[in-house]
Amino acid sequence: MSAVQTSVRRATGHALFWPTTALVVLLVACSVASPGFLDVSVRDGALVGQPVDLLRNSVTPLLLALGMCLVIATGGIDLSVGAVMAISLAVSLTYLDGAADASDPATVVTAVVLGLVLGLAVGAFNGMLVTLLGVQPFIATMILMVAGRGIAMLITEGQITTVTSPPFKALGAGSLLGLPQAVVIGAVVFVVVALVVRRTALGMLLESIGVNRESARLSGVRARSTTWTVYVLAGVLAALAGIVYGAPTMAADANNIGLFFELNAIVVVVLGGTKLDGGRFYLSGLVVGALLLTTIERAVIIFQLPSTTTNLFKAAVLIAICIAASPRARSWVQRRRSTRPEPAPSSAPAKDPSAKELTA
Amino acid sequence: MTTTSSPAGSRPAPAPRDPSSPSLLQRLRRPDVRYLPVAGTLATLVALLVVGQVRYSTARQDFVSMKLISNLLIDNSFLLVLAVGMTFVVLAGGIDLSVGAVVALVGLTVAQLSIAGWPTPVVLVVGVLVGTACGTVIGVLVQHFDVQPFIASLAVLFLARGAATVIGTRSLPIDDPGFSAIASWSLRFGEGRTSWRLNASIFIALGVLAVAYLVLHHTRFGRTVYGLGAADRGHAVGLMGLRAERTRVLVYVISGTCAGIAGLLFAFYTKSGYNLTGVGMELDAIAAVVIGGTLLTGGYGYVLGTGAGVLVYGLIQVLNAREGLDSWWTRVAIGGVLLAFVVLQRVISLKKGPGAAPART
Repeated sequence: MSAVQTSVRRATGHALFWPTTALVVLLVACSVASPGFLDVSVRDGALVGQPVDLLRNSVTPLLLALGMCLVIATGGIDLSVGAVMAISLAVSLTYLDGAADASDPATVVTAVVLGLVLGLAVGAFNGMLVTLLGVQPFIATMILMVAGRGIAMLITEGQITTVTSPPFKALGAGSLLGLPQAVVIGAVVFVVVALVVRRTALGMLLESIGVNRESARLSGVRARSTTWTVYVLAGVLAALAGIVYGAPTMAADANNIGLFFELNAIVVVVLGGTKLDGGRFYLSGLVVGALLLTTIERAVIIFQLPSTTTNLFKAAVLIAICIAASPRARSWVQRRRSTRPEPAPSSAPAKDPSAKELTA
Repeated sequence: MTTTSSPAGSRPAPAPRDPSSPSLLQRLRRPDVRYLPVAGTLATLVALLVVGQVRYSTARQDFVSMKLISNLLIDNSFLLVLAVGMTFVVLAGGIDLSVGAVVALVGLTVAQLSIAGWPTPVVLVVGVLVGTACGTVIGVLVQHFDVQPFIASLAVLFLARGAATVIGTRSLPIDDPGFSAIASWSLRFGEGRTSWRLNASIFIALGVLAVAYLVLHHTRFGRTVYGLGAADRGHAVGLMGLRAERTRVLVYVISGTCAGIAGLLFAFYTKSGYNLTGVGMELDAIAAVVIGGTLLTGGYGYVLGTGAGVLVYGLIQVLNAREGLDSWWTRVAIGGVLLAFVVLQRVISLKKGPGAAPART
């Protein structure tokens, strides 16, 4: 075993190796296809350029995935996030629409808080079904996936509510310290959640619930309230994602805001190396996953593929990752590995191909 | 209550009754908890019919009539077929979220092929096979790659929706003469205001329901489906020598095929294909199954109950329209009814004891 081989093995074994590699390859491919792709310039005191755009577009999937990842860690799933985005945006914009002065900062703060509170209520409802009644998570959250858009339509009375409110619009389109405000919001929220989860025992508790709820409970983890908290958090984050996503257009289109975004969130979580069975989760992987997802969407445009193929692409990625993570696929790989090194000890140069085999 | 305490209680009523089994009167006095969801369904159905009869009957026309029933069946034939396919999957302890997207994909495929001038029978067969293929992918992912059913079917949902979007983003009309002939064929009964009709979609949908009933309740395959949904994740089925693996793939193939047939029926109904049809239709199908009394944890339920569930769904829509409410109220109402039945199911399975239903799938 050479030191190089061990370090290669360690690097490729890291959960973030493949997503990061894919991201770098895709970014390089994009900048080859479209020179100047990675250029960033300063205009009116704000950074502009494709990379900044990518960052901004990554915020919505990142916020959704952050909640989704914690829910998945406990062995659950939240399918209602797309509908929650629509509801929170509908509530915020309808409040602004009815307010006397939609540009007043205090009004905007109230509108945002209202949206977030609704997300909290929805999350609490999901959590109640899952923890108190023991309904399977995907069924419990599916109820709001069905009814949620109807509720959003009720709030907007079937219209596409549009408002003009510069401070609200700035949440999604403005810039702060040269960075898009949305990116700042996403980064702050991510760091806060990551610190809370990983600097306290919360993350470990979540993983223990995801691995085995009953044994976690028996060893003194408050499985019920912890799980509930996670669904509430996912609801609030989805509401925030809806506001950040809808702020630039200022239009609450209850039918289309966040449609299929639960897929985006799930794809980001699996791209980031977290398995859907619950247990171990990687928050840093979410950043890479969200960037990768946004870059895939952008790459489709840059390579001039029909934009209709993006969903096909995402679904293919999801299926591929699920197959790759399955026990059967892993046992195939292990069988190949265990048969390959047998001739290796006879000759020294044979080690090289086997090292390559790991990266292939 | 003797039947529910044994593992065999997860099966439909066994045909030969031993002499000690309770008489009809005793059973009526202490109803078997298994029939509670179905009883709830029938009660809901009757309640909706009564509300309709009281509120919307006029001197000239009763609300409850053959016309109402034939309209319900015509408007919901595709949903009935979807829900029947979903019943197989849910009984086996799985879920299929892809069916709505498959309906859209099948509709667009059919539209595109008939525009390309393919003969009608070939187009219809290809349409159904598209559904079968989608179902097979889910089944293989679930059985052979250990992917959770809702993730596998979610992936196929987006795959089918993505493929439909690639085929076209505009609504394509289907004006193939053979296709239109099937779509507009119907048998008419009665005269004038009270006339009602039966069309091809009704016969196909009821045929699917009848076949499903026979398969689920009178074949070894049907027994295996119920056994797969038992709390032991189908281990007992395997130990009994029934082919659990093959059956688990087949339930998804059946569901996909049903989605293919439903796609055709929906194309008959709208005479067009569009990539955004059927968004949320999988939830309508699941709602119909749940309202019909099938437990989402698997193992319990009746496909005929699913038929009643579809009627409840259709009636909610009709009442909604008669009240002049906007269409999104239907969504909220369906969500509410789904919630009520899910909660009812949990209460029932909690009563039966903690081991009766696993909280996670």
